[in-house]
Parts: sequence; C-alpha cells; structure tokens
Amino acid sequence: MAPSSGRRLASRTKEEPEERKIVGINKETVTNTVSTDYPDNFIDEDHAWDVDYFRSKFRVEWHENNEHEAQFSLIGLDASIANAFRRILIAEIPTLAIEKVFMNNNTSVIQDEVLAHRLGLIPFTGGKKGIRDWMTYLSKDADGQDLCFDHNTVQLSLSVECTKNKDAKPDETDPTKLYHNAHVYARDIVFQPLGDQEKWFSGDDIIRPVNPDILIAKLRPPQVLDMDLHMHKGIGADHAKFSPVCTASYRLLPTITITKPILGDDAKKFQECFMPGTIKLEKVTRQEARQAGSGYEGHEGENKAVVANAMYDTVSREVLRHDEFQGKVKLGRKRDHFIFSIESSGQWDSDELFLESVKVMKQKVGKLRQLAVTMVTENSI
Amino acid sequence: MSREGYQIPTAQSSAPGASSTQVSRADDNMGTTMTYMCGDCGFKFPLKRQDNIRCIECGCRVLYKERTKRMVQFEAR
Repeated sequence: MAPSSGRRLASRTKEEPEERKIVGINKETVTNTVSTDYPDNFIDEDHAWDVDYFRSKFRVEWHENNEHEAQFSLIGLDASIANAFRRILIAEIPTLAIEKVFMNNNTSVIQDEVLAHRLGLIPFTGGKKGIRDWMTYLSKDADGQDLCFDHNTVQLSLSVECTKNKDAKPDETDPTKLYHNAHVYARDIVFQPLGDQEKWFSGDDIIRPVNPDILIAKLRPPQVLDMDLHMHKGIGADHAKFSPVCTASYRLLPTITITKPILGDDAKKFQECFMPGTIKLEKVTRQEARQAGSGYEGHEGENKAVVANAMYDTVSREVLRHDEFQGKVKLGRKRDHFIFSIESSGQWDSDELFLESVKVMKQKVGKLRQLAVTMVTENSI
Repeated sequence: MSREGYQIPTAQSSAPGASSTQVSRADDNMGTTMTYMCGDCGFKFPLKRQDNIRCIECGCRVLYKERTKRMVQFEAR
C-alpha cells in the first residue's frame, strides 16, 4: 500500500474509545450492534488480541451468590466468549439423572411411559465430589450392551402401596388422611448403594432429590407402584433433564445518559419511566445554578433527575415515548459488560456451575489446540 | 435377547422374569386358575377357563385381568 494512501503502520493502540462500546438504543431501532475491536477496522489502530491487555482489562463483579441463584458481571470480553459460556452451562455440564426405569408393577392411573418420563425430570443431588470426579459416563461393550458398574450407575427404588387408613374418621374426606400413601412424593425414592458408592454417597452426601416434595403420582387403594430406577451421567445436549441449570442467561449492562437537564415535575415523570432505583432525584445546587450554560441557571433548589443505578433498567424504552424528554436522554447498552444470571437446578451450586463451564471450555480449547498443532506439523512435512 | 429372558442387571437379580414366564405359559396351555378383579367391588378371585364370568361376591359381570408381573423397561425420556 502506498504511503500516500493515508494508511500507515498500525500503532499499538489497543484501547477502544468508550463510545464505540455502546450499543445505541433508539425509539424504534438498535444501532452499532457489532463489535469492532479487532484488526483492520480503523486506520492507525491495531486491536489485535493480546493476552496481557485482556488480563489488564478483564473484570468480574459479583452481585448475588446464593446456593441456587447467582448473578455476576463479566466485563471486558467479547460476546462470542460470553455466549460460549452460556451455551456450555445449558448443554454441556454433566449431571446425574434417572435414565432407565424397570417397572415391576404400576397399577396407578399414570401410564408407565408418562411416569418414567416424570421420574427422569426430577433433579437429584448428592456427594458432589463423587458425582463430579468418581462417576463416569455409562460405557457400552462391543455389542452395544450397557456396562453398568458402581462408578457409572446409581440404583434407586420406588416401592409404594396405597392402603386404607383404619384410624380415619368416618366422615373424613381428605384422601391423605383416608388412605396411607395417597400421594407419592420424590422423597419416597430410596437410594440403594452398590459397591464403592457407600464411600462417596453416605450421610449428608446421600443421593437424594433436591426438592423432596415433588408430587410423582396420586394413588388410591389398592394401587401399587414398584420399580427400580437407574441413574446415569449425561449432558443437556442429549436431553434437557441433564441440564444443570433452570436458566442461564446474560444481558448487557444498560446505560442511561442524560444530555440536557431534566428538572422539576419532568424529573419526577422521568423517574417513573424506569424501574424503581434506576433514577434518583437530587436538588440543583447553588454552584450549578450559578454556572452559565449549564442549563441549571435560576433553578436552584429544584429537583433534577440523576442516574442512580442503570443496572436496574429493563430497557423498556418508555422514556423515549414522551415528547418532553426528546433529545434529553440517550439509552444504550455496554457491549462488553455481560450480566450473567445462573439459576441452578440443584445438583450443583450456582457459582460452581460457572467454574465448571470454564473447565469444559478449557478442555475444548485444549482439543482444538492439539488439532491445530497436528495440522501445522503435518503440512510442514 | 428376547424381552421374556431379560433380567435386571443388578446385584439383586434373582431372575424374576424367567420364573414368572414359565408360570404364565402354564396358565395359557392348561387353563389353570387366573386371578381377576371385580370391576364393581374390587374383590380378587381366581377363575378357571370354563367358569362363569361373574364376581363371586357381588355378581358384577365386569372383570379385570391383573397387570403383568413381568418387569417392563422404559427410558426416562
């Protein structure tokens, strides 16, 4: 390329101007949605990916961390990576779920197939180390027959018979008092340890349903349920029952920029356009009122709208519908600020899940690297 | 492998499938007793091939055959 074309050797600028990271949210359109922080987008700017630069800019902020729900922000990474983590969380972290049902007897009104499907969807938990490190996927022999061992199969049994309660009052109408075992719950499923499982899953670590009160079936005398259940490890890509999360999603951090002062009653109305806590009202100070060209002249002591916490904004764009705020506010989202929300289905803690997804990602990258290396070495021969 | 010969691959497999298969085949051939349940009063009683199809207790003519005692395998999907 000729030097006169204006394109010179790229300087080492990696810093991207803040305004380029903002997705514009307008009344009816969304603009600037694509990231541009990679080479050949701007003259004199490099933006080649650099691990040290990434490390210096990347941040994690925790907002909420409960056993079954976590919210945190990953700041300074590309949507492709954030989305990869989300997809791994949903579909590729192995969990234990009921996979085979050996029905010895079922005289209840629920059909065998439906009951088996219901049982499969019940989330179970137990000794995490045992499930994660000791348990393996089910293996098959050369003929495709399953090879069940203590380290790949967990056996459970469900055996319930509904009988009349002799002690019930004659005018009793409540089925749970009239009969024994009128309702079958997830807590009626009994874990039957095999082989070495005693070592990993005993005491507090016993394999048990996360929610013991899940209703499986309703019985009347003399209906019987009697079955053995086998649990295997699997991933969400195979069946949704193996997915370790109820939801795993992210959203971009909203930005609200007030470009011209919003004062008095307008400020109150402006505040009501957003979720509670997003906008706060402050008094115009004497200093601001004195400053010529600030827009606050002569408004000392009046309310003005100030952004308190843009994260609470649902980006409903309600504010853009009102004429009085035309040209006074700009809505947007930060393209490299991902607010993750992970809700665990119970087998794992929600914060463990994200670490687990990072582990899966690392394994994938490791495999890819190996392939890339062999590709290069084979071509060079 | 036929379904009749199937055994639960567990430690406690005492071959329940095999034994019950033999019993049911004997029933088919020789017309020995089968247990039925009355559709009205729920009473369980045995019937032979030539017997009247009628409940011994209440005379109801609707009788139900009992569900198979054989193990049936399902995928929880």
